[in-house]
Amino acid sequence: MRLSGVAKRFGPVRALDRFDLELRSGSMLAVLGPSGCGKTTALRLIAGFERPDAGTVDVGGRRVASSGASVPPERRRVGVVFQDFALFPHLSVRDNVSYGIRRDPDRDVRVDELLELVGLRGDDRRMPHELSGGMQQRVAIARALAPRPDVILLDEPFSNLDQALRTQLRAEVRQILRDARQSAIFVTHDQGEALTLADEVAVMARGRIEQVAAPEVIYAEPSSPFVATFVGVANLLPAECRAGIALTRFGPVTLIGRRDKRREGRALSLLRPEHFLVRDAPDGPASADTWQVIGRRFSGSEILLEVRATDGQRVWVEAGGQVRRLTIGDRVELRLRDIETVAFAPSAGLTARSRDEPAAREALEPVEPPVH
Amino acid sequence: MALPAVLRRPAVVTSDRRPPVALLAVVAVIGVLAMLPLAYLVIRAAGADERALELIARPRTVELLISSVVLSAGVGLGAMLLGVPLAWLTTRTDLPGRRAWTVLTVAPLAVPSYVLAFALIAGLGPRGALSGALESLGVERLPSIYGLPGALLVLTLATYPYVLLATRATLMRADPALEEAARSLGDSFGTAFRRVTLPLLAPAIGTGALLAALYAISDFGAVSILRFDSFARAIHVQYRSSFDRSGAAALALLLVAAAFALVWAEARVRRRRAALQVPHGARRVARVVPLGRWRWAAVAFCATVVGLALLLPAVTITYWLVRGLGQGEPLQLLAHPIRDSLVAGAAAAAVAIILALPVAFLVVRYPGRLASIAERALYGAYAVPGIALALALVFFSLNVVPFLYQTLALLVLAYAVRFLPQATGTTRAALMLIGPRVPEAARSLGRSPFQVLRSITLPLLRPGLLAGAALVFLSTIKELPLTLLVAPTGFGTLATQVWGAANEGFFARAAAPAAVLMLISLTSVALLLRDGERSA
Repeated sequence: MRLSGVAKRFGPVRALDRFDLELRSGSMLAVLGPSGCGKTTALRLIAGFERPDAGTVDVGGRRVASSGASVPPERRRVGVVFQDFALFPHLSVRDNVSYGIRRDPDRDVRVDELLELVGLRGDDRRMPHELSGGMQQRVAIARALAPRPDVILLDEPFSNLDQALRTQLRAEVRQILRDARQSAIFVTHDQGEALTLADEVAVMARGRIEQVAAPEVIYAEPSSPFVATFVGVANLLPAECRAGIALTRFGPVTLIGRRDKRREGRALSLLRPEHFLVRDAPDGPASADTWQVIGRRFSGSEILLEVRATDGQRVWVEAGGQVRRLTIGDRVELRLRDIETVAFAPSAGLTARSRDEPAAREALEPVEPPVH
Repeated sequence: MALPAVLRRPAVVTSDRRPPVALLAVVAVIGVLAMLPLAYLVIRAAGADERALELIARPRTVELLISSVVLSAGVGLGAMLLGVPLAWLTTRTDLPGRRAWTVLTVAPLAVPSYVLAFALIAGLGPRGALSGALESLGVERLPSIYGLPGALLVLTLATYPYVLLATRATLMRADPALEEAARSLGDSFGTAFRRVTLPLLAPAIGTGALLAALYAISDFGAVSILRFDSFARAIHVQYRSSFDRSGAAALALLLVAAAFALVWAEARVRRRRAALQVPHGARRVARVVPLGRWRWAAVAFCATVVGLALLLPAVTITYWLVRGLGQGEPLQLLAHPIRDSLVAGAAAAAVAIILALPVAFLVVRYPGRLASIAERALYGAYAVPGIALALALVFFSLNVVPFLYQTLALLVLAYAVRFLPQATGTTRAALMLIGPRVPEAARSLGRSPFQVLRSITLPLLRPGLLAGAALVFLSTIKELPLTLLVAPTGFGTLATQVWGAANEGFFARAAAPAAVLMLISLTSVALLLRDGERSA
């Protein structure tokens, strides 16, 4: 599956712009981006519900869309799992799943096999309105899998489910798609979903792909301040780069990646909250090295503290172990662990996001940690 | 409009809260009021003598029954054939001038069937405008539009908006992802429409078509102008021509039974539809289907329907109006019917609103068995064909409350009770929007129940009450059989004026009241539609 140079406008809105994306057979790709970045449009172009203004779409080695011609959705061999599942309300579970394979002589066997796969073996006579949200989700997946599509697209597949169900279904769906050896693309605005589910994550902003990489790489080596701040909590701190080392106010940090190793001069280095060691500051007058806790966010497994230096610099840090009891107003000292990180050109935030002023400003400062 | 109010009947919800006795008593009185004439009709028919029974058993009755069934089946089918394509064209396609067609294709809802029938014979009939024009060209005879063909055409044109509105509402609510899912599973556009869209629309189409059929079987005005022997017309003839009115009562009861059979069928269709609804999240707007080279065929289709249902009456009425004025047709004849229409409409609207308030309160605030019984009784009365209700009222008032016979009070009460579901429909919708918390908040701020009603509930209800009053007003001035049979001597509305003149062939005399009636109707429907769009 490949999209290259795809552009799509809706009136004055440029939904996609020179958009490139590639999916290796059998793998799962997450398209991650804020609302309105064009990720659903990308899916609809692949499925054939929209036509590209420019560029080409290939599925299973076939050209299915170019600016001139477009293969209709029914002949693309692309399965879709819709955000609201879109189960046919007048058909039973079995009839929903067999909808796309009615000419297949073995369809009953295939449906049984799929219902087994999604764990709905005994529910084949039930109607969609009798099913819970999670069951509807599984029927939708079985239905999309039935015609053995070349690729299956999932549009925000878990957004209609409650938190507990979401976590459980994520793992289940991943397993179902793995077992079916199914290539899949799903779009989401939830970074946790993208990082835990996908083999590769494509981060999107403003109609373009910012970075495509394995989840670990996206987190540890983001290619832009936008990616760094959108995935996880990021502190972007001024640093001087020289010979593969970024000199920050906390001391030198090794840079990773060839591009970053060659970087010289002023830059913004990425420091994640877990990069810091936090300990109580000794009593006495505040020095340049003491930080005051000004915010606190508890999320069960971790505590994030927002701390401020005397010169006004703010940083989000993770408070582990004995410093968990720290509260607002307390003073701490920070040290960096032995880490490697990336650095961006000082203007990177502005040039890469020149069309997006507010995001650029956010990128230069640590953003608020998203609440999961 | 009558249709959405009828469609909005809610599912029965039970509640533990006990309604106040006073409220129950008031609603019970209203319910009895609604059902009393009918009950009396049953008693009267049951007491009918041998001759009346013979009347029912004779072949002529069977013939009438068959022609009424043929008419209502034909109209139901015709309404589907017009309503479904129009609904699809105006919601899902790039039809040129789509917004205008949306309004124009619904507008015929405002044209009473007898005005349409009058327009048809005065325009295309043997002594009509067209044959008058053709006579000078040497054409002597046009194919007859009296009888079944005319009745089918007129009633189909008058009722297809029911199918159109029901289908439109479902098409707009339907999740476009369903069609897309079918496409992604290998269906072509046409196949997806047949396998997914049509089955989902079927209940709505069915409901609309049944309402059209119900309208056709109950219609009195159009069939009598077009000289089509349906049950409704036969009842009127029987009533007017014979001294023994038990026969008419028995026939009316048969008609009521036929109408209830249709209502029952409609309720079944609706129940199936309720089961089909699946809760969904936010929905996207459906993609516009390009019509391509079919565009102008689609426009021609819309234009033909609108031309027959709106333009033809307008042109015909204008033609005869101008001709009548030219021949000195006195316009002051209009003053009386206009005054009577306004008086009857306003009084009926006011009474209906007063009656609707307690019913709506009971249904919304104390849902349960009692509330649903009260509602069913009112809807039952609503489904009774006008001619049967009119007869029942005549018998009832003559024999039980003779001091009310031939009084304006009885007529107004009859209108109000008949159109009460329209008023309760809008009042209930408004009341549901307020919810019980708002008045409760006012109570907690130190206001008495009565103060809350006056300062919070009534002001918030006002739009709903006004909409209900407008609907009842509109229905009242269009109502024919009730006015014809129950009104005091000398009292005549625009409706009876049009019908009387058209029935006697005085086209020029019918034109002026028909023009006024159409203007009032179209204006009110336009206002109601605009409010509907805004609140939707």
